[in-house]
Amino acid sequence: MLNVQRWQTLVIVGFTALAVLFALPNVLPNALLSHLPSWYQQSRVNLGLDLRGGAHFLLEADLRAVLNERLTNLSDSVRAELRKQQVGFKDVTVEAGRAVVVVLREEAQRAKALEAIRSIDSSLAVSGTGDTIRLAYSEQDLFRRKKEVIDQSIEILRRRVDETGTIEPTIVRQGDDRILLQVPGIKDTTDLKRKINQTAKLTFHLVNEDVALTGQNVPTNLPPTTTLVPTREGMQQLRATNLKAWEDIQAANPRLAPEQICRRYQPQCLPVLKRVIVGGEDLDDAKATFEQQQGGRPIISFTFNSAGGRAFCAATRANVGKRLAIQLDNEIISAPVVQSAICGGSGIITGSFTTQQTQEQALLLRSGALPATLTIIEERTVGADLGADAIRDGTVAAIVGTLLVALFMFVAYGPLFGGFANLAMLVNLLLVFAGMSVLGASLTLPGIAGLVLTVGMAVDSNVLIYERVREEKALGRSAFSSLATGYERAMSAIIDANLTTLIAGVLLFGFGSGPIRGFATTLSLGLVTSMFSSTIFTRMLLALWVRWRRPTELVI
Amino acid sequence: MWKPVRLFTFKRKFDFLGPRRTALILSTLVNIIALAGVFTIGLNFGIDFKGGIAIQAKAKQGVANLEQLRSTIGALGVGEVSLQEFGDPSTALIRVQRQDGGAQCVAGAQRVMLKRAGPGWQVKPGPAGTGDVELTAPSALDAGNWRDAVSRVGLTVQERQLPRGTVNTARIDMSPEQRAEWCQQVAIKLVEDAIGGGYELRGTESVGPKIGEELMQSGILAVIATMAAIAIYVWFRFEWQFAVGALIAMLHDVISTLGVFVVLQLDFSLTALAAVLTIAGYSINDTVVIFDRVRENMRRYKKLSLVDLLNQSINETLSRTLMTSGTVFVAVVALVLFGGPVLYSFSVAMLWGVIVGTYSSIWVACAGLVYLNLRPEQLRPDDDKAEKAKA
Repeated sequence: MLNVQRWQTLVIVGFTALAVLFALPNVLPNALLSHLPSWYQQSRVNLGLDLRGGAHFLLEADLRAVLNERLTNLSDSVRAELRKQQVGFKDVTVEAGRAVVVVLREEAQRAKALEAIRSIDSSLAVSGTGDTIRLAYSEQDLFRRKKEVIDQSIEILRRRVDETGTIEPTIVRQGDDRILLQVPGIKDTTDLKRKINQTAKLTFHLVNEDVALTGQNVPTNLPPTTTLVPTREGMQQLRATNLKAWEDIQAANPRLAPEQICRRYQPQCLPVLKRVIVGGEDLDDAKATFEQQQGGRPIISFTFNSAGGRAFCAATRANVGKRLAIQLDNEIISAPVVQSAICGGSGIITGSFTTQQTQEQALLLRSGALPATLTIIEERTVGADLGADAIRDGTVAAIVGTLLVALFMFVAYGPLFGGFANLAMLVNLLLVFAGMSVLGASLTLPGIAGLVLTVGMAVDSNVLIYERVREEKALGRSAFSSLATGYERAMSAIIDANLTTLIAGVLLFGFGSGPIRGFATTLSLGLVTSMFSSTIFTRMLLALWVRWRRPTELVI
Repeated sequence: MWKPVRLFTFKRKFDFLGPRRTALILSTLVNIIALAGVFTIGLNFGIDFKGGIAIQAKAKQGVANLEQLRSTIGALGVGEVSLQEFGDPSTALIRVQRQDGGAQCVAGAQRVMLKRAGPGWQVKPGPAGTGDVELTAPSALDAGNWRDAVSRVGLTVQERQLPRGTVNTARIDMSPEQRAEWCQQVAIKLVEDAIGGGYELRGTESVGPKIGEELMQSGILAVIATMAAIAIYVWFRFEWQFAVGALIAMLHDVISTLGVFVVLQLDFSLTALAAVLTIAGYSINDTVVIFDRVRENMRRYKKLSLVDLLNQSINETLSRTLMTSGTVFVAVVALVLFGGPVLYSFSVAMLWGVIVGTYSSIWVACAGLVYLNLRPEQLRPDDDKAEKAKA
């Protein structure tokens, strides 16, 4: 039992060395780290928001309102289409959250009515008998739409949080209708919260082709009907080349008008007519799709409601060959050339787009049209110095805890066996850090508490072994034999004791969130790694020691 | 070099299970009192479970004036407010009850609007039964300004709800539940505006009614699932009597820990729940160590009476039990002393858990085995054969 083969020693030492390697980036200075490969640089423990400072928001999207709005729009379209096809109806009503119900004047016109409805949206689930037609969106459609609304909300949030200039926000979907937004290092959340609640404004304008803009040259005399608006690309270019200017624009209070931005910072701009042709409120949908002919280029297709369709038809008919500027908030996201009059409520935007670009553009188009209201249902904000306090408290507690446990073990089991156990404890801490670095787990304040507990619990295995060795020794066994049997017989109690606590840790990870998960992570990880450090690792140490000193008497 | 220190230098023959009846009465009594406390006085639920707002405010100069803060915030119409010093005298932990979205909240929103968006704004509740809010601007505004102003009270105005032309009133649709969630934000803004001058707000936590309920449910579920899973594990590894004994010991530890929370009125937060679960997992540690020895001795000493067998097993494992608890105990003491105010409830609970876990392994789990009628002869005959084969 106590015979440890050379290869086993190599594996154990190698494994420990690997742990050192992966835990090392946590303490290496940045200057040195930057010379090392990037995968290695990333092997660091992230600090949780409670230690680092930052904001955590859980937002809930009002999907029901989105559905109701959609149903209302559908009922408008149905009404218009039925009138157009001269189908008499008594009533078209919206059943909130469910369906649109059409009651026809004459049952005989049902077939004609259904045909008209199919021309609006062929994927609708149709039910009802006689003069009543119930229209509902199919399950798949609802599911797809839900996902779209959440994705779109995430995209809007990303844009808005990005504007605040903070780094790496985490924005992820949670459950069916929730979004988790985490912004590390943010100081003032008032502005962030305001941005969450603000919806984007989408408008369509005509480009004033009579005003010549060459390069950075901004005309001094603009006709009163025309203004200058920066393009999205222009702003991104500005951000890349002159970050200071970009940040000034974002920070300006009150917000700078687009024309002021153009004149002051001279990003790429377009002269557009101030008159709004159509607003985002009239845009029903926009999606990335592919052209039917010509090799299926990626394009963006969009649909207006009836009012928007009419206005758009009139404007495009009169301006074929001119550019149409699509403005989102203070940027022009796209300025396609009008190829022909776009009537009938829907159109496409072509260009040399990649699929990714069309998807992004469609998302941007939709972001003015269908925002779900986001409600903050949970907020946790930690100021940076509060986080610093937490780090200090946690570190002191961890160091004192470790020292106390080490002292305890030294006193109880002497310099040799106590020393082995304490060395194992340090290896265990190292393993936990290496494990967390590799997993990219976050260290939170409760996580530090978990670490301290792990320190206390990891040496438990050694206590179990040593006490068993003492018992075996008391029975009159030789030094070698008591060590070997001690390890052997303590194993089952060690496994049982660690596994029961591990069960609690794993379940806590499953049920908990945020900081608590941090606790569950360090506790569970620490228990698992302690099985290695307290048993396998110390057994190797003892075996080497026995081989070296050949003790006849154990001082334990 | 020094010599290792031993807890016991003599052969131990304590009659642990002699006073098992007294221990049983004591444990039952403690648990009944703890349960009674939980149901009458109640746990001091933190905002994680109850919903509400917790703000850490540090005085920009000198100490935090709790009395003044209490009267200032109490006058805001945000409901029940509780204050305590947090960590050091300059910092106060302000707790505001969960907001119910009533008329007071809309009145509060009006004040926030005036302060943050400028004079002339009006916020009124919509028709009864809905959670709608009606906003009136000082004058007709363009859409961009509407959106900007409205977002200052934490509301979102949809494109179709925007007033057109000369109209300056907009109706924001909300369900009563949504309004309650929004009112949390209104309350935070009210507190910020009221004390922001003299205090630095270091951290804000807000848990809306919905999340609070969900966390409560998943918390209860987590405790039950953990205890069940551990009991099943013990059942799988030992006889069923051991599992029942372990389960009773776990219940004993968890309930008495809840009792400690009631008596000391410690903040029962998510971290506290983590402590309860860890105690459930850890209290079983000592129990399993003793059970392991009981099982071993059951095979070795077939003629010994159950009580003697248990006593002997407890005696044999006593120093292990005390030593393992000891290491965790000193680690937790470090947490209590230096872990800071955030971890305080957690650490105190863990400290209790380590002590009571050791007690319960002997006087609840093992004593339970006596009453559960675990006898060596009930072992399956296979075990005997296996034992003989080994010998």
